Amino acid sequence: MGPVISVQVLLSPEPFDPYSLLAIWSADHPAAAESHFIGRVRPVTGANQQLDALELEHYPGMAERQLQQLATTQAQHHGVKAVLVQHRVGLITPKAAIVLVAVAADRRGPAQRCCQALLEALKHDAPFWKREWSAGVGTWVQGNTPLGDGG
Amino acid sequence: MAAAPIRLRLFASLREEAGWEQQDWPWPDQNQPPTPEQIWRSLGLTASLDDLRIAVNFEFAGRQQPLQPGDELAFLSPISGG
Repeated sequence: MGPVISVQVLLSPEPFDPYSLLAIWSADHPAAAESHFIGRVRPVTGANQQLDALELEHYPGMAERQLQQLATTQAQHHGVKAVLVQHRVGLITPKAAIVLVAVAADRRGPAQRCCQALLEALKHDAPFWKREWSAGVGTWVQGNTPLGDGG
Repeated sequence: MAAAPIRLRLFASLREEAGWEQQDWPWPDQNQPPTPEQIWRSLGLTASLDDLRIAVNFEFAGRQQPLQPGDELAFLSPISGG
Protein backbone atom coordinates (compact mmCIF):
# COMPACT_ATOMS: atom_id res chain seq x y z
CA MET A 1 0.00 0.00 0.00
CA GLY A 2 1.39 3.44 -0.97
CA PRO A 3 1.54 6.56 1.16
CA VAL A 4 -1.73 8.19 2.15
CA ILE A 5 -2.60 11.03 -0.23
CA SER A 6 -5.04 13.75 0.75
CA VAL A 7 -7.48 14.44 -2.10
CA GLN A 8 -10.03 17.20 -1.51
CA VAL A 9 -12.60 17.95 -4.22
CA LEU A 10 -15.40 20.48 -3.90
CA LEU A 11 -18.05 21.84 -6.27
CA SER A 12 -19.28 25.28 -5.33
CA PRO A 13 -22.46 27.05 -6.49
CA GLU A 14 -21.28 30.08 -4.51
CA PRO A 15 -18.30 32.34 -5.28
CA PHE A 16 -15.09 31.38 -3.53
CA ASP A 17 -11.89 33.24 -2.68
CA PRO A 18 -9.03 31.02 -3.85
CA TYR A 19 -6.46 32.70 -1.61
CA SER A 20 -8.49 32.13 1.54
CA LEU A 21 -8.94 28.48 0.58
CA LEU A 22 -5.24 28.13 -0.17
CA ALA A 23 -4.26 29.62 3.18
CA ILE A 24 -6.32 27.05 5.05
CA TRP A 25 -5.37 24.13 2.81
CA SER A 26 -1.67 24.98 2.85
CA ALA A 27 -1.63 25.18 6.65
CA ASP A 28 -3.29 21.76 6.81
CA HIS A 29 -0.90 20.19 4.27
CA PRO A 30 2.60 21.53 4.93
CA ALA A 31 5.03 20.59 2.16
CA ALA A 32 8.31 21.76 0.67
CA ALA A 33 6.70 22.45 -2.72
CA GLU A 34 3.29 23.72 -3.73
CA SER A 35 1.88 24.42 -7.18
CA HIS A 36 -1.37 26.35 -7.69
CA PHE A 37 -3.59 27.21 -10.63
CA ILE A 38 -6.49 29.66 -10.51
CA GLY A 39 -8.78 29.93 -13.53
CA ARG A 40 -11.00 33.01 -13.85
CA VAL A 41 -13.82 34.07 -16.16
CA ARG A 42 -12.67 36.20 -19.07
CA PRO A 43 -14.51 39.52 -19.59
CA VAL A 44 -15.12 38.72 -23.27
CA THR A 45 -16.70 35.83 -25.16
CA GLY A 46 -14.96 33.59 -27.66
CA ALA A 47 -16.40 35.90 -30.34
CA ASN A 48 -14.79 38.89 -28.58
CA GLN A 49 -18.07 40.34 -27.31
CA GLN A 50 -18.51 41.68 -23.79
CA LEU A 51 -19.38 38.80 -21.48
CA ASP A 52 -22.19 39.36 -18.97
CA ALA A 53 -21.82 36.00 -17.25
CA LEU A 54 -20.55 32.48 -17.75
CA GLU A 55 -22.93 29.64 -16.94
CA LEU A 56 -21.33 26.37 -15.91
CA GLU A 57 -23.54 23.30 -16.06
CA HIS A 58 -22.43 19.95 -14.67
CA TYR A 59 -23.64 16.37 -14.45
CA PRO A 60 -24.43 15.98 -10.74
CA GLY A 61 -23.01 12.79 -9.34
CA MET A 62 -20.65 12.15 -12.25
CA ALA A 63 -18.76 15.47 -12.08
CA GLU A 64 -17.83 14.97 -8.42
CA ARG A 65 -16.89 11.35 -9.04
CA GLN A 66 -14.75 12.18 -12.06
CA LEU A 67 -12.92 14.99 -10.28
CA GLN A 68 -12.15 12.68 -7.38
CA GLN A 69 -10.92 9.91 -9.70
CA LEU A 70 -8.83 12.25 -11.85
CA ALA A 71 -7.25 13.92 -8.82
CA THR A 72 -6.47 10.58 -7.19
CA THR A 73 -5.02 9.12 -10.38
CA GLN A 74 -2.77 12.12 -11.02
CA ALA A 75 -1.71 12.36 -7.39
CA GLN A 76 -0.65 8.71 -7.37
CA HIS A 77 1.03 8.95 -10.77
CA HIS A 78 3.15 11.96 -9.76
CA GLY A 79 3.75 10.84 -6.19
CA VAL A 80 2.48 13.99 -4.50
CA LYS A 81 1.20 14.42 -0.95
CA ALA A 82 -2.01 16.38 -1.31
CA VAL A 83 -4.37 17.74 -3.96
CA LEU A 84 -7.14 20.32 -3.74
CA VAL A 85 -9.69 20.97 -6.49
CA GLN A 86 -12.40 23.60 -6.08
CA HIS A 87 -14.71 24.11 -9.08
CA ARG A 88 -17.56 26.57 -9.51
CA VAL A 89 -20.92 25.66 -11.03
CA GLY A 90 -23.85 27.86 -11.97
CA LEU A 91 -23.78 31.49 -13.10
CA ILE A 92 -20.36 33.15 -12.71
CA THR A 93 -19.48 36.80 -13.22
CA PRO A 94 -16.44 38.00 -15.20
CA LYS A 95 -13.13 37.81 -13.32
CA ALA A 96 -14.54 35.47 -10.67
CA ALA A 97 -12.65 32.24 -10.01
CA ILE A 98 -13.93 29.14 -11.84
CA VAL A 99 -11.38 26.61 -10.73
CA LEU A 100 -8.59 26.23 -8.22
CA VAL A 101 -6.11 23.36 -8.40
CA ALA A 102 -3.44 23.07 -5.73
CA VAL A 103 -0.82 20.37 -5.27
CA ALA A 104 1.58 19.79 -2.38
CA ALA A 105 4.67 17.63 -2.84
CA ASP A 106 8.23 17.13 -1.65
CA ARG A 107 9.72 18.62 -4.85
CA ARG A 108 8.75 21.29 -7.40
CA GLY A 109 8.82 18.87 -10.34
CA PRO A 110 6.05 16.55 -9.16
CA ALA A 111 4.05 19.50 -7.81
CA GLN A 112 4.11 21.43 -11.10
CA ARG A 113 3.64 18.41 -13.35
CA CYS A 114 0.74 17.09 -11.31
CA CYS A 115 -0.97 20.49 -11.24
CA GLN A 116 -0.78 20.87 -15.03
CA ALA A 117 -1.77 17.29 -15.78
CA LEU A 118 -4.73 17.42 -13.42
CA LEU A 119 -5.94 20.70 -14.87
CA GLU A 120 -5.81 19.29 -18.41
CA ALA A 121 -7.55 16.11 -17.28
CA LEU A 122 -10.42 17.92 -15.61
CA LYS A 123 -10.87 20.26 -18.57
CA HIS A 124 -11.36 17.30 -20.90
CA ASP A 125 -12.68 14.46 -18.74
CA ALA A 126 -15.03 15.97 -16.17
CA PRO A 127 -18.62 16.61 -17.34
CA PHE A 128 -18.92 20.40 -17.31
CA TRP A 129 -20.36 22.63 -20.02
CA LYS A 130 -19.88 26.38 -20.41
CA ARG A 131 -22.44 28.79 -21.81
CA GLU A 132 -21.42 32.37 -22.51
CA TRP A 133 -24.09 35.01 -21.89
CA SER A 134 -23.75 38.25 -23.83
CA ALA A 135 -26.47 40.86 -24.57
CA GLY A 136 -29.14 38.42 -23.38
CA VAL A 137 -28.02 35.60 -25.66
CA GLY A 138 -26.50 32.36 -24.38
CA THR A 139 -24.03 30.41 -26.51
CA TRP A 140 -22.71 26.98 -25.59
CA VAL A 141 -18.95 26.64 -25.76
CA GLN A 142 -18.00 23.60 -27.82
CA GLY A 143 -15.07 21.92 -26.09
CA ASN A 144 -11.85 23.39 -24.72
CA THR A 145 -8.93 25.13 -26.33
CA PRO A 146 -6.00 22.70 -26.49
CA LEU A 147 -3.03 23.60 -24.28
CA GLY A 148 -0.41 25.41 -26.37
CA ASP A 149 -3.00 26.46 -28.97
CA GLY A 150 -4.07 29.61 -27.20
CA GLY A 151 -5.18 27.60 -24.16
CA MET B 1 -42.34 -8.27 -13.20
CA ALA B 2 -41.06 -6.06 -16.05
CA ALA B 3 -37.38 -5.18 -16.09
CA ALA B 4 -36.55 -1.67 -14.88
CA PRO B 5 -36.29 0.92 -17.66
CA ILE B 6 -33.07 2.68 -18.61
CA ARG B 7 -32.90 6.27 -17.37
CA LEU B 8 -31.68 8.56 -20.17
CA ARG B 9 -30.00 11.90 -19.38
CA LEU B 10 -29.05 14.83 -21.61
CA PHE B 11 -27.23 18.03 -20.72
CA ALA B 12 -26.44 21.47 -22.10
CA SER B 13 -26.85 21.89 -25.87
CA LEU B 14 -28.03 18.30 -26.37
CA ARG B 15 -30.81 18.79 -23.82
CA GLU B 16 -31.97 21.96 -25.53
CA GLU B 17 -31.90 20.38 -28.96
CA ALA B 18 -33.93 17.40 -27.75
CA GLY B 19 -36.33 19.42 -25.61
CA TRP B 20 -36.06 16.99 -22.69
CA GLU B 21 -33.63 16.43 -19.84
CA GLN B 22 -34.37 12.87 -18.85
CA GLN B 23 -36.71 10.08 -19.77
CA ASP B 24 -37.15 6.38 -19.12
CA TRP B 25 -36.49 4.02 -22.02
CA PRO B 26 -38.50 0.82 -21.55
CA TRP B 27 -36.42 -2.33 -21.34
CA PRO B 28 -36.83 -3.94 -24.75
CA ASP B 29 -38.26 -7.34 -25.50
CA GLN B 30 -35.19 -8.74 -27.30
CA ASN B 31 -32.59 -11.43 -26.72
CA GLN B 32 -29.52 -9.18 -26.61
CA PRO B 33 -29.23 -6.31 -24.11
CA PRO B 34 -29.48 -2.89 -25.78
CA THR B 35 -26.41 -0.74 -26.32
CA PRO B 36 -25.95 3.04 -26.08
CA GLU B 37 -25.58 3.19 -29.87
CA GLN B 38 -28.87 1.39 -30.42
CA ILE B 39 -30.68 3.73 -28.05
CA TRP B 40 -29.05 6.84 -29.51
CA ARG B 41 -30.26 5.85 -33.00
CA SER B 42 -33.78 5.40 -31.69
CA LEU B 43 -33.88 8.94 -30.30
CA GLY B 44 -33.75 10.60 -33.72
CA LEU B 45 -31.50 13.48 -32.66
CA THR B 46 -29.30 15.19 -35.22
CA ALA B 47 -25.95 15.09 -33.40
CA SER B 48 -23.50 12.41 -34.49
CA LEU B 49 -22.56 9.89 -31.85
CA ASP B 50 -18.97 10.31 -33.10
CA ASP B 51 -19.01 13.79 -31.54
CA LEU B 52 -20.44 12.70 -28.20
CA ARG B 53 -19.26 10.79 -25.16
CA ILE B 54 -21.28 8.22 -23.32
CA ALA B 55 -21.62 7.60 -19.58
CA VAL B 56 -23.29 4.62 -17.95
CA ASN B 57 -23.97 4.89 -14.23
CA PHE B 58 -21.70 7.97 -13.98
CA GLU B 59 -18.70 6.33 -15.69
CA PHE B 60 -17.51 6.82 -19.26
CA ALA B 61 -18.52 3.89 -21.44
CA GLY B 62 -18.30 2.67 -25.02
CA ARG B 63 -21.11 2.82 -27.54
CA GLN B 64 -21.38 -0.97 -27.63
CA GLN B 65 -21.44 -1.58 -23.88
CA PRO B 66 -24.29 -3.96 -23.04
CA LEU B 67 -26.75 -2.18 -20.79
CA GLN B 68 -28.50 -3.57 -17.75
CA PRO B 69 -32.03 -2.89 -16.49
CA GLY B 70 -32.08 0.24 -14.36
CA ASP B 71 -28.87 1.71 -15.83
CA GLU B 72 -28.51 5.48 -16.13
CA LEU B 73 -27.30 6.34 -19.64
CA ALA B 74 -26.10 9.85 -20.48
CA PHE B 75 -25.04 11.27 -23.82
CA LEU B 76 -22.51 14.07 -23.34
CA SER B 77 -21.70 16.85 -25.79
CA PRO B 78 -18.06 18.04 -25.90
CA ILE B 79 -16.91 18.91 -22.39
CA SER B 80 -15.78 22.46 -21.58
CA GLY B 81 -14.87 22.64 -17.91
CA GLY B 82 -12.06 24.25 -15.96
